[in-house]
Amino acid sequence: MNETQFKRMKDLPTTHLLGTGAPMCAGCGGLQAINDIYDVLGEKTVFINAAGCMTLLSIYPFTPFRGSWLYTAMASAPAGAQGVRDALDILLAKKKITPDENLTTVVLAGDGSTSGMGLSATSAAIDRNLDFIYICYDNEGYGNTGQQYSSATPHAARTSTSTGSAGFSGFKKDLFAIWAAHKPTYVATVIGAEPLDLARKIETAASLTGPRFIISLSPCPTGWGFDPQETTYIGKLAVKTGIWPLKEYKDGKVSHTKNPHVRVPVEDYLLTQARFKHLFEPKRNDKLIDEIQSKVDAYWAGITP
Amino acid sequence: MKTASRILGSAFFNEGYEVQDAPRYGAERRGAPIFAFVRADNKAIDERGVITHPDLVIVADDSLVTVPAAGVMQGLDEHAVLLINSHVSAETWQQRLNTKAQVLVLPIKDAMQNRAELPYVSAACVGAAARLLGMISQNALVRAIDEELSHLAADKINTNRTRAIEAFELMTTHENCIQQRPSVSALDYQQPEWVELPFEDARISAPTIHASLTSVEVKTGLWRTMRPVIEYDRCNHCWWICSSTCPHNVISVEDNSPVIDYDHCVGCLVCVAQCPPHAIKAISEAEAKQSAVEQAGETT
Amino acid sequence: MTRKLLTGNGAAAWAARLAQIDYVPAFPITPQTEIIETLSHWIDNGDMPGKLVTLESEHSMITAAGAAASTGVRTFTATSSQGLLYGMEMIYTVAGWRAPFVLINVSRALASPVTLEPDHNDVLAARDSGFLQIHCATCQEVLDATLIAYRLGEDERVRLPVIVNEDGFYLSFTREPVTLPNSDEVKDFLGEFDAQNMHFSASSPASQAVAVLGGSPYSYFRYECHLAAEKALVVYDEIRDEFEQRFGRKYDAVESYHTDDADYVFFMMGCFATKAKAAVDGLRAAGWKIGLLRPRLLRPYPAQAIRQLLTGKKGVAVIDQNLSMGKGGILHSELTSVLYGDKNAPSILISFIGGLGGRDISQEEFFEMAKQLKQATVEGITPAPRLLYTADELRQIHKLQAIAHVEREAYE
Repeated sequence: MNETQFKRMKDLPTTHLLGTGAPMCAGCGGLQAINDIYDVLGEKTVFINAAGCMTLLSIYPFTPFRGSWLYTAMASAPAGAQGVRDALDILLAKKKITPDENLTTVVLAGDGSTSGMGLSATSAAIDRNLDFIYICYDNEGYGNTGQQYSSATPHAARTSTSTGSAGFSGFKKDLFAIWAAHKPTYVATVIGAEPLDLARKIETAASLTGPRFIISLSPCPTGWGFDPQETTYIGKLAVKTGIWPLKEYKDGKVSHTKNPHVRVPVEDYLLTQARFKHLFEPKRNDKLIDEIQSKVDAYWAGITP
Repeated sequence: MKTASRILGSAFFNEGYEVQDAPRYGAERRGAPIFAFVRADNKAIDERGVITHPDLVIVADDSLVTVPAAGVMQGLDEHAVLLINSHVSAETWQQRLNTKAQVLVLPIKDAMQNRAELPYVSAACVGAAARLLGMISQNALVRAIDEELSHLAADKINTNRTRAIEAFELMTTHENCIQQRPSVSALDYQQPEWVELPFEDARISAPTIHASLTSVEVKTGLWRTMRPVIEYDRCNHCWWICSSTCPHNVISVEDNSPVIDYDHCVGCLVCVAQCPPHAIKAISEAEAKQSAVEQAGETT
Repeated sequence: MTRKLLTGNGAAAWAARLAQIDYVPAFPITPQTEIIETLSHWIDNGDMPGKLVTLESEHSMITAAGAAASTGVRTFTATSSQGLLYGMEMIYTVAGWRAPFVLINVSRALASPVTLEPDHNDVLAARDSGFLQIHCATCQEVLDATLIAYRLGEDERVRLPVIVNEDGFYLSFTREPVTLPNSDEVKDFLGEFDAQNMHFSASSPASQAVAVLGGSPYSYFRYECHLAAEKALVVYDEIRDEFEQRFGRKYDAVESYHTDDADYVFFMMGCFATKAKAAVDGLRAAGWKIGLLRPRLLRPYPAQAIRQLLTGKKGVAVIDQNLSMGKGGILHSELTSVLYGDKNAPSILISFIGGLGGRDISQEEFFEMAKQLKQATVEGITPAPRLLYTADELRQIHKLQAIAHVEREAYE
């Protein structure tokens, strides 16, 4: 592709496309990322939504989009994208619409539907080489219903269905690896707190065709338990601690776009959120903290800078 | 407010009343206006859902009172009492609102301005309500707080208790000012204006929005309890971190300067936390409104 | 116009081809698969334009169908039984999108126990979804009903998706002579797909199928669907007349067979109704005044027509090829609800359950049902509902249970 138009922070858009007035929680890290993503993708888009927090972006008669939107259900947003994409292609082929009426088809779904009931629809959309972009805002739980654990919940996190002293006993599902294993056109992790990295990746995704995947870690003040103003701070910490590696898969290769040379201890990240408070109070749980740290260390040990 | 409704419900229950309490869930998220209901009676309660004609309305955030969309004034008549948590006096509110309902004020704690007092507003409101109702003893009130807040740390429970008792005491002069409204008469009632729903074809009646950006009509600025204020002399015109990282898209850059859209800023304060030269400060909405009133006074 | 032997599935595929559908989201399931195989073959060999995409489930298939229709193309899809149920969330959902397309359901009984042959519990699970339903009794009707369904669903006064139902095996795999109309005639009848104001395009943004908050807007949108479904009765009759004019075949919303002078009426749906027709002929030969009513339209329900056709009749035997557990036959409930309070309605309605899982209904059983119906009207007593099940069948199941080591004696 051509050289990025986002060389430095100052190149980021200062007029924003997504309309105000969306009823998302104050400090929503998912909305933060979607704003930045929308700025790059632009208004010639149709968002196909799976049930989740972002379903409430459009509540009749209000929509924050300049372009279009279709709400489907929790499990089948990629199939909705298939129907819209195919129909647009048919209309283009029959010359019922002109090419400038064409839209980019974008799935918008949370981590719960993405890693759970929507996974087979996603996998199959890749099989069919569907030309679409899939955006997953990952707040690591079923946030819209009050943060029950999903298969994207990190180990040891407290959720409203993992309230025991060790938190969630499972491990965060590696969606990046699952998607990449399908060999789609593009997969990338992003975070709203790193808008330049995000903008470049969305720019790359937009320049390609075929199935393209973006997963955005989305700090969630209500679900994770922190003051809304900490959203960006926590997002940055997720990257600095190495908990959220920023990377992309392209042409069969995975590369890291930000490699924290000196990683901040995960403890600094865990301490910012009430969902990990039980690791420190009333008694420090070194075993679990060490386990989390060593998982992160093991991940980065395999990465050459 | 859900917590407030539960404490009040439990307090009634502890006094031997039949009770219903329920929050009203909407799509709005944390920070958005929320309301909750409590019903109490000596006999089993058959009515359900939204209270259309309340005996007592408690408003924890006075900025909502004058906003029609918040619906605070709905169903308020001469029978009702409106209790507002506010800096402004009851007399001023009574005048401003032009309502037949009796208006009372529970004075705001000063510490509200730094969010520290926010978690205790519920308990204070319930304490005041308990005294106004005259049906709930201080003991029953404290017991209800202990029950409903048992998941909190002991010091937090204590502060809740203290705030509730303070408010309970403050309302002494108005004790027992609320009377239960008679139930709707089947002999003399207002007939519902039913219509035949006209058939409208799908070009009109599909759940489709045929436009863009209609959400700007939703004034999410109402949610705000704290307001970010840009001190322009300190702004170093960076790469517009405030604008780029604002989750709610309310900071635009005009004439090489950031501008906050207060109609839609929900007051998350991410900008305050992120601004490199600390050029954005947070003030409470109450304070912001107060100074706006003062400024208006000076200019007139 | 040609006349050839076609299965019900073949007729359904031909209907899609003649309707010049643009798009087929598909998923295989017995006994429907032949439809999508046929269409796929035609499309792959350039016999017809269009695009067929196999999704990974019926849930996704129906989502894609609704999404494509919402974008503005003529869409066809088909399923059966468990597949319809797997997609049921989307059946209800896409109906509310007000995006018309046609779904052929090849009726097959539902698990458990899982089986292959038909009854109507699958399609009746979609009864309250907002999809209109046309039920067929012959392979010809499958073809014609599908064409009618496109006109009906796409009419701006209706704009709802339509299920055309054919019984598995008894229609789906059974060849009958079917008259194929000319492609141009069908083109004239259907016209081009008119997307009205449904679209996704750059110049006119639209947010479709958005959420609502609260019961009041919800009531409006849902009731408007209902009003549109009701409006479809009027529209159907207009289309029926035009179809008859163009193609010479007439499909009333309720088929009536020898009901004019009848005292007694069989009331049933689907292709087993042709067995009832044969029984009517047999009974009439024996001197009976008996007829048959068969609703083609189940949604909208042609209540007025049914009431009129049953005015002054002595008794009705409702034969339900379905079962609502803990209540009984669904058609029986539906019929009772529209006759109640009508002083000219028949006083006796007997409920029979028959044909579950494709179990045959013999001519003798029709005769016996007629006899019991007559007896009930004479006595003025409605007998209890009855499952059509013989002593021999019961003996057979006992034999099977013995092989399955069901220790009957131990529990008796």
